[in-house]
Amino acid sequence: MEQKEKRLIRRVKKGDHQAFAELVDRYKNSVFAICLRMVGNRQEAEDLSQETFIRAYKHIDQFDNDRNFSTWLFRIATNLSIDSLRRKKPSVSLDAELPGAEGLALKELLSGGETMPDEQIVRAEMEKIIQHEISLLPEKYRSAVILKYIEDLSLKEISEIMGIPVGTVKTRIHRGREMLRKHMAAFRGEK
Amino acid sequence: MSDAHKKFVSLMNKVLDEEATKEEQRLLDAHIADCSSCRVHFHELRQSADLLNRLVHPQAPLNFTKNVLDKLPADNRHAVRNWVSRHPLYAAMAICALPMSLMMIAARRQTVYRDKNGNGQFILLKMPENRS
Repeated sequence: MEQKEKRLIRRVKKGDHQAFAELVDRYKNSVFAICLRMVGNRQEAEDLSQETFIRAYKHIDQFDNDRNFSTWLFRIATNLSIDSLRRKKPSVSLDAELPGAEGLALKELLSGGETMPDEQIVRAEMEKIIQHEISLLPEKYRSAVILKYIEDLSLKEISEIMGIPVGTVKTRIHRGREMLRKHMAAFRGEK
Repeated sequence: MSDAHKKFVSLMNKVLDEEATKEEQRLLDAHIADCSSCRVHFHELRQSADLLNRLVHPQAPLNFTKNVLDKLPADNRHAVRNWVSRHPLYAAMAICALPMSLMMIAARRQTVYRDKNGNGQFILLKMPENRS
């Protein structure tokens, strides 16, 4: 797997589109997930994911093949997402008020109530709410939380992607989690 | 937030990061059994982490790879091969032209040597007579 990836990258460095297509297939879902959770909008996430791969291709000569390709790629994706967030602050869609029904589903979920609505509806609504909550996090906490919980990466990998020490990654994840907790507690309080 | 509470919150985070020792885990368990505010706090933190974990991993849109490839700078690696497949006739002519021109040059040289030698022998084929 590792060796195959290194061979693919050597081919990409020679300008092989087919080899690059294999790398895109391998990482497109992860890159799209990072971008989507960062910006909270599918269309924008798709544009950012494409841009991530195009940049990776154009700058593949700068990539050191002894390092981890996914780390390098995820770094491009998070940086592009953060740039995009900074460019169009404040976002319209993210600041929109949550409709009441969604709050209801979350309360249902948090309280583990007996009257569980349809599983799928809950899932879809929960997704919207959590996405909304993530969008409220400051971007540096947001990227750390996303890399840990959405991509399931280790603290060390996150520190390499973000270019910060492991201790700082921990602090950001802790603060992010704490902020989410407080928001969720506000939901509970309305009950 | 009191100092003691802060200490337990950082312990909670350690546990959630799966970095707590057994001793630390026991310490926290013993504390939250007594302290209701820490118990609630830990429960809520864990719940936030669970919600994040349950968030689905989205799939990239259809045709994503193709859309990316369409936007890449041209692949110049196969420039020769591409030209050949587009112009097979020119390619065939170019391939034939090379040996033909070599043959013509060779024929021309033979004539020159023959003229110089006068008896139909190639100068190049003449062996040296005295080899020591």
